[in-house]
Order: sequence, then structure tokens, then C-alpha cells
Amino acid sequence: MNEAAPLPKGNMGEPVARIDARLKVTGDARYPADLPVRDVAHAVLVTSPIARGRLTQLHTEAARAVPGVLDIIAAGDVDGELERPQFGNSGSTSIAPLHDRRIWHDGQIVALVVAETFEAASEAAALVRADFQAEEPSSGFGSPGIEIIPAAGASPLYPENPEAGDFDAAWATAEISIDETYSTPTQHHNPMELFSTTASWFDGDVTVNESSQNVTGWKNTLARQLKVDPEHVRVVSPYVGGAFGSRGPMTPRTAIIAHAARRLGRPVRCVVTRKQAYTTQTYRAETRHHIRMGAMKDGRIVAFRHEGWELTSRPDNYVVGGTGTTARMYGYGAVETKVSLVKADRNTPSYMRSPPETPYVYALENAMDEMAVALAMDPVEFRRVNDTMTEPIEGKPFSSRSLMECYDQAAEAFGWNRRTRGIGSMRDGDWLVGMGCATAVYPTNVAPCTARVRLTADGRIRVQSGSHEIGTGIRTVAAQMAAERLGAPFWSVEVEMGDSSLPPAPVSGGSTSTASVCSAVMKACDAIRARLFHAAVTANDGPLSGLAPADLGIADGRIVAGARVEAVANAMERMGVGEIEEYAEFAPEGSSADAIANLYKGKLEMRMGEEGAKVKYAFGAEFVEVRIHRLTRETRVSRLVGAFAAGRIMNPRTARSQLMGGMIWGVGCALHEATEMDRHSARYVNTDLQDYLVPVNADIQDVKVILVEEKDTDVNPAGVKGLGELGNVGTPAAVASAVYHATGKRIRDLPIRIEDLL
Amino acid sequence: MKRLVSMTVNGEEIELAIPPYRTLLDVLRNEGRLTGTKKGCDVGDCGACTVIMDGSPVNSCLVLGIEAEGATIETIEGQHAGPDLPHLIQEKFMDHGGAQCGFCTPGIIMMTKALLKENPNPTESEVRFAIAGNICRCTGYAKIVDAVLAAAEDLRKGRTL
Repeated sequence: MNEAAPLPKGNMGEPVARIDARLKVTGDARYPADLPVRDVAHAVLVTSPIARGRLTQLHTEAARAVPGVLDIIAAGDVDGELERPQFGNSGSTSIAPLHDRRIWHDGQIVALVVAETFEAASEAAALVRADFQAEEPSSGFGSPGIEIIPAAGASPLYPENPEAGDFDAAWATAEISIDETYSTPTQHHNPMELFSTTASWFDGDVTVNESSQNVTGWKNTLARQLKVDPEHVRVVSPYVGGAFGSRGPMTPRTAIIAHAARRLGRPVRCVVTRKQAYTTQTYRAETRHHIRMGAMKDGRIVAFRHEGWELTSRPDNYVVGGTGTTARMYGYGAVETKVSLVKADRNTPSYMRSPPETPYVYALENAMDEMAVALAMDPVEFRRVNDTMTEPIEGKPFSSRSLMECYDQAAEAFGWNRRTRGIGSMRDGDWLVGMGCATAVYPTNVAPCTARVRLTADGRIRVQSGSHEIGTGIRTVAAQMAAERLGAPFWSVEVEMGDSSLPPAPVSGGSTSTASVCSAVMKACDAIRARLFHAAVTANDGPLSGLAPADLGIADGRIVAGARVEAVANAMERMGVGEIEEYAEFAPEGSSADAIANLYKGKLEMRMGEEGAKVKYAFGAEFVEVRIHRLTRETRVSRLVGAFAAGRIMNPRTARSQLMGGMIWGVGCALHEATEMDRHSARYVNTDLQDYLVPVNADIQDVKVILVEEKDTDVNPAGVKGLGELGNVGTPAAVASAVYHATGKRIRDLPIRIEDLL
Repeated sequence: MKRLVSMTVNGEEIELAIPPYRTLLDVLRNEGRLTGTKKGCDVGDCGACTVIMDGSPVNSCLVLGIEAEGATIETIEGQHAGPDLPHLIQEKFMDHGGAQCGFCTPGIIMMTKALLKENPNPTESEVRFAIAGNICRCTGYAKIVDAVLAAAEDLRKGRTL
């Protein structure tokens, strides 16, 4: 045992090591671009150096003269062969780079060069020249030419702005008020694995090897674009080198590469450079916030107004929309919210780890900290006063809410009582010490999912479900669920995932996977149990004959009822079978009748945390200590403590990993990450890991994760709340709170950099 | 025009015909069929392609294949404690949850090996700075540092790299 494997508390599984740990530490885990493909041709993208205008002519003669060049595909070459991409569901954007000559954003794909080698394709791509009719682009917030529209109704995912009561009247009664603006920058996921697509056709069927968070969605999306039946498309993604949302929706490149392979009659692989990924993949939209919060002197909030503005592209209305969560966080009284989209000449943003919560909860929690200061209240006590078991928008109860338990456990572990209240009152030599805290929250979403489980007479179990191992440990927890339900050891389970030919699972996004996959695996296992139990009780002379199936259990390979036992293998022998296989379809409560059919068609029907008779959220509390140098203002996060409650914890080891990784994402969001833009040309400037700053090992010091015991039987059959996106939500505001405590500077615009503190 | 280059990879002397412009990373992954070494940026920013060349850790994306003429290269595929036994460092990474998505892991393990060869008794801070050039986006680093320190502790108990 070590710190990586916390001892399970109540309602927690065993902290087993990852089922695929060995493959990952030996280099044997094969990511899509690792796969050897016979006779593969290599493709390199040519992208636009302007952000707005029209491609008038492409000069490819010099490129075609490079030895080894096989094909160049450009605007017009896909007409009739490839349908346009669509925005929404499994598609990242409607921008159709090789259908149109219009340039919507910097770095838009304008051509694809295919050659015998990667180097030849790179050389030729550099020789492609393009003529453009350039227009003045609008880069984003504050630029001339942007269009601002209401988010409500602009996207089916954001029907209306949540509100309750009469905000104006309540605001007028407040004794203390906060009225401030906040902002978060453009950020790019930068998973460590480069984006790549490898497409191979055989006898009319195409196999695409690409890291994906949604193989079933992509299969269907790709089939539509390639104009083939989905049965002829297979998307394979066994290991994913980090995703964080970047591999949720399919980007236009995938179909272009599949088309190139079809046109060339041989497999094509395209590994996108990190630089080009900044413009051909998705990103986190820049946001602005205006918060008004009114409270009484006793600390009760009586009025809360959250208005957000979010950047998106011209053609696609991607909505971040975090007010659904912030409006329900505390017992505010009256609530008013509004979200607007700011449309500029940019590529379409998309999901990035805790898409709505990261920016919106940052703004809210920063305002909460400001209000605590204005009230001269301890920030933890301020949250306690406004904690509620009933959300204020529709008055629905929380299915469970352990927020203050998280605060209390984290505060104690952190040593919050050692904090002295005065600004700059804590010092360590030349370092100003600041302590802060904030709430983490993430809705408990769940989605339809299927799984197939097979138990063989020798006790081995195989689980199949088209989910995705993106680093979360989903294979491991699915195996734990099967082992537990079938009374078998963990090591006897193998799990197949990441392939669209498996029973479909939902997108690995929205922190739904553990809840959805485990609920489906549970259902399949229970069907196997039912068959075994039936055989055991209906036997003429078995040790369990005549008992009620409900009285039976299963453990250590045996069917058990008190002191009476029968080996599973015996029961199967009596049944005359060598294996039992069950396929199960799990549709969450409140799903439509077509939920499973839609899952097969790649149409996602996620049940969101705020839906249903009770609202469902996971909560956490994060405490941060920063040290800021007195003279240079270098800022270090010296300690982080987070306590989180997320229903049943399938595996404390992988849960801790997810939460800890999330907290460090939060540090990056607070202090490092921002994609900078040249506002004149609307082009990104820091498109590599040298200039796009992410936390490195030397940036991190002491990090502690506390798993708080919680039981919630309302969320889903597995009792699981997702936590992959919980850990990073509270950190940025906690850092901002600590920076204020150390320096007296309230930084409302992320990231917090040295220049903000001088 | 390809050039014939010989090098010793994971203890085995090999001869490869490679284009002179191909990076060592691409040579290992393509001609060498050793895809455990990963490409995370191809410009020396991320450390995912770290291999040990003549005893020193290098970003193999910043070395040309032809520069490896006569060199001794160690990659993740060559790390074992015995037949079918993971290497000490790999074992500690498994125990401490040092791998999540796993993509940066081979590079970090090779960097760890180079560190521990040079400094078998590193402090936590020395570990953090030694592998600061290997970016990990999943773990939050603490588990990696724990794994490296645990490997160092076992070295002190007499185990070998």
C-alpha cells in the first residue's frame, strides 16, 4: 500500500492498479499512430495564413514536383464524394474546408498533400502556394465586426436562461453587494498524443484508426460524410494519449483522410503537427462574466445575477452555458442569468475538461470570495450560511450534497485554522504566503450504454463495451464491476473497448463513462447471475435446490446461500453450457423510448444533472497555499488540498488520480494556460508547448486528495457520480483567493501572471 | 538516397538503411518498429520521445538518425528486470499510478533511468527538476515523483537499474 492506493472507506471499491498499467509502462500500449500499416502513404495538411477571406488560387506545381508526392487534394476535389461536415452531436464544426473556398479562420485546412514519406509530404506542403482575397478579420471580444447574439435558443443544448424570483427587487434590498467582471482566456487541450488519422479501405469497408472519445458517434458521422452505410465504417481507438474533450467531436480532417485513402487506393496516415492542431482541432472558448451578488449582513445571499459572454465561430453556435450550474450552486434567493455568444472569425470552440464549469464557476467562486471579504466573514463559513439541499431555480432537492463535509475535511487537512486573516499577514522569509479556497462542482450526467459480458466455465470474464480508455481507468473500473457482480477475482476479467464494432457506449465526455458503463455492465452481469441462480435453485438434487433466487449471492466462484454453496462451474455444467453471455442495454431513468436506437445511430441522449425530480451534482472543496516572492512576484502553488464526494467510488486509486490530475489542470488554468492571439490578424501566436504554458513537474509541490464517503442511490444504478471533470473546477478560484490573501490584489482575469502582481 | 547506419539498440547491434533527413525518433518508430517511443511535439518541447543515447537522455526528435551511427541507444522496449519481468522503474510506476493515459510514460521512464544512473539518491526537488522537461497532462505529477523516489529507495536496498 502507498499513497497512490488510498484505503477504501464506506461505499468505495478496492484500489486495484490499472488493468492496463503494465502495457503503458512498457511501451506496449498501441496508440493509433503506432499501428504498423502496410504500404501506408503519409499526408500533411496545408493551412491558411489568413483568418478571413477567400481562397482564389492554389499553386501546386512545385509541390507536385517533389519526388514521392502521390496526390494533392484541394477545394473542389471532394465535390460529390464527401458530404459537408455538420456542427453538433458528433461533429465539431460545419466549416467544410475542401468544399468551400471561403476562409473562416486562421489555420483552416486548404489542401492535403499525400506522399510516400512524411518528409516528402512535409516538404511538398511547404511548397504549396495559395492566393487569397483577404478581408479584415474580427479576432474576438471588442473587435470591430463581431456579432453578438443571445445564446438562449441559438443551440438546442441551451434552450433558456435559468432564473428565479425578482432579481431587481431582491438586489435593491441587499445590504452588501458585489458588482464585478471576470474573464477566462482561450485555452487548448494539448493532450500529449498528437492528433492523427489513419484510414485503410478493404473491399468497400473503411477502418479508421484515430484516438477518439466517441467511436460510435464518429462511425455514423463518418459514414454520412463518406456516403456509405455505417456498417462499412469502423473506428478503432484502443488507447488514447489524453483527450480532455479534444477528441469528443470529430473534426473535418477525419473524413478528408478517409476520402484521400479511397481516392488513392491505399492506406493514408496523417499525423497533425502540434502547431496545426491549434487551428484544425477545437479549443476552450474565451469567456467574460458580469456578476452581481447581494447579501445581508448575516451572510445570506439574497440576489445573484450571472451574465456571460462566450466566443464562437461565425457559422457555429457552440454554447458553453455554465449558468445552469452557477444558478443552482447556493441558496441565493432571486436569480437572474443571461448568456450571449460573440461570433468572430475563429475556428469553432468545443468541449474542454469541465466545459461550462471551469469558466463559470471560476467567476462565481471568485465573487463568493470577494463577498466573504466584504462581509468580513470566513469564506468557508460564508459558504456554510448559503449551503442548501434545495436548488433555487426549480426548488428541486439535491439527490445528495456533501459540500460542507468536503469543506470541513479539507480545511482540517490543510490547516485552515492557521490562516491569519490580514492581507499579506503570512510570510516565510522573502515569500508572501496566501491561503484560499473555493468550491468544485460538476453535474452527474449519465447516458444510454450497452455492454456484453461473457462468463466461461473456467471462471474467466470478458467485458465488451465501445467506451474509451482516455487515461481515466474505465477499463479497470468496468472490470471491477464485473468481478464484483460475478464473484470473480479482478485478474480474471479482460475488457475490450475503443472499437465501434463493440456494443456501443456513449461519448467519453461529461464525466458519464463510469456511471453509464458500470450500470450497463452491472445489468449484463445481473442477467448472468439470474441464469446461474435459476439453474441452481431448479436443479433436482443440487445443494441450492428449492431456494429462492433472491436469497442467493455469488462470491469466490461459488453461488452462495448461507452455508450452502455450489460452484459456478457446476451450475454451468448442469446447464450444459461452456459459457454464459449476456448483452445488456442500459437507458437512464427519463430516457426516450429511442434512447438505445439513437445510441447505435451515434445520436447522444445524455441525461443531465439538473434533469429529473432531483438534481444531481458532485461537490468538492479545494484549498490552496501560494507563495509569492516579495520582489519578483514569482508565484508558486506550494500546497493543494482537495476533498471530494462523488457517490460510490469504484476505485480509490483511479479516482484519486483523476482528481489530482484535475487539480493540476486547475493550477494550469490559474497561472499558466492561455492561447494568445495577434488581434490584428486574428491568428494564434503561441502554438507550441514552449510558449503555451502548462504545469511541469517543477511547478507542483504538495498535493493531497481526500475522498469523502457519500452514498447516492438516486443518480444511477451504479450509484456513481462522475469525477473526471470535478477536480479542476475549484482550483482557479482558490488560487485567486490565495493570491488576494497574500497580496491584496484581486485578479479577476485568468491566467494570473507575474505582471498582474507587480 | 538512403544511408546505411549501424547502432546498438537495446543491446542488439542493428544496421538500418535510412534517409539522411529522418530523425532518430522516426527511425526508431518506422525502420526500427519500436513504437514505444512517442511523438508528442517533434520539436523538443515535451520529452515524450526521450531515449538514452550513449548514456545520456536525449529528445530523439532532435537527433538525426544518421547521428546515431555507432551509438548505443536504450528505449522503453529494452527495459526489463528479467524475462517477462518489468523493470524496477516500470514496477514503481505501476504501483504508484504514475501512468494514466500512458503516452508520456515511456519518455518519463527513460528520463528517470538516466537520472537514477547519475544520481541514485535524488531529493524530491531534484526529481522534479530532472524530469521537468517531460510534460504529463494527466497525472498531476505527484504520483510520478513518488514512483521515482520509490525506485531510488529500492536502489538503496540493493536492487539495480
